[in-house]
Amino acid sequence: MSDKRFILNSSRSSKQGTLINVGKDSDEYKQLTETMTMEAGDMEAIGLAEGQRALVKTEFGESEFTCQAGKIPQGMIFIPYGPPTCLLMGGDTGGTGMPTSKGWEVEVVPL
Amino acid sequence: MGGKVTCTLGEVKQRADFIIYWGGNPAECHPRHFTKYTLMQKSKFLPKGRKDRTMVLVDIRETKSVKASDIFLQVRPGKDFELITILRALVKEQHVTDAQIAETGITREVLDDLVARMKAAKFGCMFFGMGLSMTRGKHMNSAALLTLAAEMNAFTKFVAMPMRGHGNVTGADVIMRWQTGFPFGISFNRGYPRYNPGEFSTVDVLVRGDCDAAFIIGADPGGTMPQPAIDHLKRIPTIVLDPHITHTSKLARVHITTAAQGIAAPGTAYRMDEIPMPLKPALKSPYPSDEEVVRRINEAIAKKPFWIPEGSMPQMLTEQV
Repeated sequence: MSDKRFILNSSRSSKQGTLINVGKDSDEYKQLTETMTMEAGDMEAIGLAEGQRALVKTEFGESEFTCQAGKIPQGMIFIPYGPPTCLLMGGDTGGTGMPTSKGWEVEVVPL
Repeated sequence: MGGKVTCTLGEVKQRADFIIYWGGNPAECHPRHFTKYTLMQKSKFLPKGRKDRTMVLVDIRETKSVKASDIFLQVRPGKDFELITILRALVKEQHVTDAQIAETGITREVLDDLVARMKAAKFGCMFFGMGLSMTRGKHMNSAALLTLAAEMNAFTKFVAMPMRGHGNVTGADVIMRWQTGFPFGISFNRGYPRYNPGEFSTVDVLVRGDCDAAFIIGADPGGTMPQPAIDHLKRIPTIVLDPHITHTSKLARVHITTAAQGIAAPGTAYRMDEIPMPLKPALKSPYPSDEEVVRRINEAIAKKPFWIPEGSMPQMLTEQV
């Protein structure tokens, strides 16, 4: 286990938009929303291999994702919005009406 | 400073020679934005199309939109507000320290060049996405960008526009504004509209458990909202109107399948520049439209007796206190 913390950003992709019309129950959609992208060096640092499952924890909850390497800044994680990212979100909107969906500090535990 | 200095996408297409996308990935999320309005179109004022336009992308990572940009600024995560504030200062030739600029992850040379280009533009437009409005700072980031756009008008024409998504979200805001004077986060429980984001907004109402029923039209909070809000939707009677089975349908007591707007049902949708567009259905659907279902529910409710027992004092206030 590593104590390194990462910044998680949930985002959207064109593939996700297309798959909404196929169905949010489809295996492809589930697979997409359960895949997180990290920088290759970060994956190596915490002992995560391409395609390996990892547990992502916030102060509000935790969820499992399959890890893949991508061209993103060090220390960051990108995951498409979906039920697994909902589990990580807190309910406080800070008086704005909008929950924070980007920039959470998370812990990643390889499984 | 308040308000929004903006324009229509038609004006962007015809006149905008300087485009900034901030915290958005239009190549993936609005795939026709470049080709229909912002980059590729030729016009009377921009006859060479793409060659007459400059596009700047500001984001925390290299997305697919980078390939379409002329200048890419990789801002440090969570430093958008600082970067916009620095730009506002540089535009007005106010002093900014190197340490303040270094904090944003961008160099002074790049920012000086950007400011010079912004001032030299004939018509600038800033489009901002959820990378700006849903990170630390939230609405303050958007307000800062709108202020920068307004202040740029001391030098040249500049406008700003949010990159709205999800079909007709703009329509919901526009209609609420027209009907109540407020765009969202509205409570009618005193008989007149009251606006208070953080108190009456959907996520907050659900998380606090303030509502005892939910009626959801064409949205999927079960797949996007924080888990505490989803948990409350599971506890209360939730009714969903949607053409598809969604995550919310699965936790709802009732799902009513409706015809897809614009494909099998007519109506009006508002574009992100708040222009209403008529929708003409291309196909027939066995399902009713959302409008028809809501109208039939309204008719059924109208037949029921008033909920306050006869002789008791109504709770509705006649005057605002």
